[in-house]
Amino acid sequence: MSNELTGFPRKDGRWGFRNQVLLLPLHSALSSVARKIADASNGAVAVSHDWSGEHDGDYDRIFKTISGFAANPNSFATIFLTLNTPHELEIIKAAQKIGVNNTEIINLAELGSMDKLFEVALPIANDLVVQAKKVARVPAPWSALHLGLECGGSDALSGITANPALGVASDRLVELGAVSVLGETTEILGAEHLLAARAITPEVGRQIVEAVARYERSINYEGIDMRGAQPSRGNIEGGLTTLEEKSLGAAKKAGNAQFTGVLDYADAAPKPGLYFMDTPGHDTEQLTGFAASGINIVVFTSGRGTPTGSAVMPTIKVATNTPMAESVPDFIDLNAGTIADGTETLEEVGGRIFDEILAVANGQLTKAEKGLHHEFSLSRMYNTVIS
Amino acid sequence: MKITGYDHTNRGVGIRNLQLILPSVVCSTRVSSRIATEVSKQYPAVTFAHQHGCGIIGNDVGGITEYFASLAKHPNIGSVLIVGLGCETIQGNELAEKLLKENSSTKYLVIQESGGVQGTVDGGVGAAKELNVTYPPKQAELRDLHIGIDLSNANLVAAELVTQLGALGIKTTVSSSHKNSGLNFSELMEAGVHLIVSFPDENQPASGFPLIPTLNISSNSPLHLALAADFDLAGNATVAQIIELIEAVGNGVKTKVEAMGAGEIIAPRVVRSV
Repeated sequence: MSNELTGFPRKDGRWGFRNQVLLLPLHSALSSVARKIADASNGAVAVSHDWSGEHDGDYDRIFKTISGFAANPNSFATIFLTLNTPHELEIIKAAQKIGVNNTEIINLAELGSMDKLFEVALPIANDLVVQAKKVARVPAPWSALHLGLECGGSDALSGITANPALGVASDRLVELGAVSVLGETTEILGAEHLLAARAITPEVGRQIVEAVARYERSINYEGIDMRGAQPSRGNIEGGLTTLEEKSLGAAKKAGNAQFTGVLDYADAAPKPGLYFMDTPGHDTEQLTGFAASGINIVVFTSGRGTPTGSAVMPTIKVATNTPMAESVPDFIDLNAGTIADGTETLEEVGGRIFDEILAVANGQLTKAEKGLHHEFSLSRMYNTVIS
Repeated sequence: MKITGYDHTNRGVGIRNLQLILPSVVCSTRVSSRIATEVSKQYPAVTFAHQHGCGIIGNDVGGITEYFASLAKHPNIGSVLIVGLGCETIQGNELAEKLLKENSSTKYLVIQESGGVQGTVDGGVGAAKELNVTYPPKQAELRDLHIGIDLSNANLVAAELVTQLGALGIKTTVSSSHKNSGLNFSELMEAGVHLIVSFPDENQPASGFPLIPTLNISSNSPLHLALAADFDLAGNATVAQIIELIEAVGNGVKTKVEAMGAGEIIAPRVVRSV
């Protein structure tokens, strides 16, 4: 296999490893038509969401999420479906400021009906897909690669097999000059002191500890016990006993490299290195935040198995155990259970994950991509019902 | 005034005969969509994308479970296939067992236990078809309807509509808690309304709810005038015209958003996600 990384350079200096044509509704009521256009098209993708323009406590977070997602470098083009409200126009402007390779704006208010919007948008989407397919890959530097580290449906083997093996691959990539981002504040709770000790400066260490403390405060403020969500019932069935145990295993995804910085949800990494991003543990909210930050490839370890993916980021699934990898073969790309089986070492599986990242970055489709898994979730810090 | 209903036994008499493919978590929405697309070739089935079911705490666990239960118990629904991933907070099997006690036309499938995506799609299509009980149409009276009014945009026509529907002996539930029709629709769904008459906020487009036919009545705002084709009735519509349309929808005529296959779920959340 060639060791060369190839991709698509974008005008803003970032790189894409896919050339997606994204239909992005800027209002929840445009979600259905966005999906309908994608389904009818020759390969455009769409996401659905439930934001209808509310300007509440979560506005800034939602603004950042949607505009960042629109500007993910894996998109060859973003087709904004809009009502042209001032907030929606601000989102488009913010996305363009980050960098949108090709912008199309389709305004429902101007077209007059959803049916008309469908008629107008479909050929535009199809044409962009044809154009996107014509673009050739060129050699890319390792700094082009922004890797997201995720785990979901963890089990007792997560911290022994898939997560430390991913850590091996992450360390190699960071050394080569890539960006690697660990998320899930919930899942470093109890392990934050270990991560903080690896921070490049005391200030970064303090930020890691503060992210966890802030998280705990917001949960305590609600006056509820987070057990019930974390560890989840699936985690417990998978053999995990406490959140701390889950965290110690989850943190292994980040290998042993130094932490260069801490990112707020959906914020971009400013330079190469390993980062911690403050995200929820909810898989699709985390994936959406990663995409919004400009991450262009994800490795997702799982003990229980999950088919979810992203409309813009290839998402490689790594199983922590062999029985699961064999029972749900159509959503697992790679099995790290061989470490527990005693047939492979951590280093060997880490090497396979590294090779898989390279192959997928170079165009090999993941199972989630083949299955058209384009789940999307908006992360909110406040409730939706009291406006 | 007569309407055509379907006697969905314990769910009540509905004005649509839909099978609900209910994803109990965001992770199973794609599989649910594939099942619904396949069975829709033979009979009306409905599903929707949502982002819930996992990473929730406190009152949201019970609240979202109840919300899903209300969807499954809705009178417009003839049968329900719940599709779960397996490791989520909301456990679909427990929800299914609870729902089964009230309605035998309920089944449950878990992706993690069904051989993966294709296994669940194949199994789900089979299970859904087995579940598809035939409910013969049953004539009912207009006054048997329970109508929801989304009053995002309070106005005189809406007020008069509520009065006149009341005079006809028709039960109405009004939701005006939000400027966001989607959240009002969720309240109305939980109240079990058969049909929604929506008066959206002047700056919001026509929208709908997946299992409930939704009539959109325009205001005279610039946005609504620009989108006149997406509304069932214009801002100068009379109450008599609205009631006439309610009767038609009660007899199977599709509303504009229903015909477009549009409709999103905005589930009420009270706590941040984790």
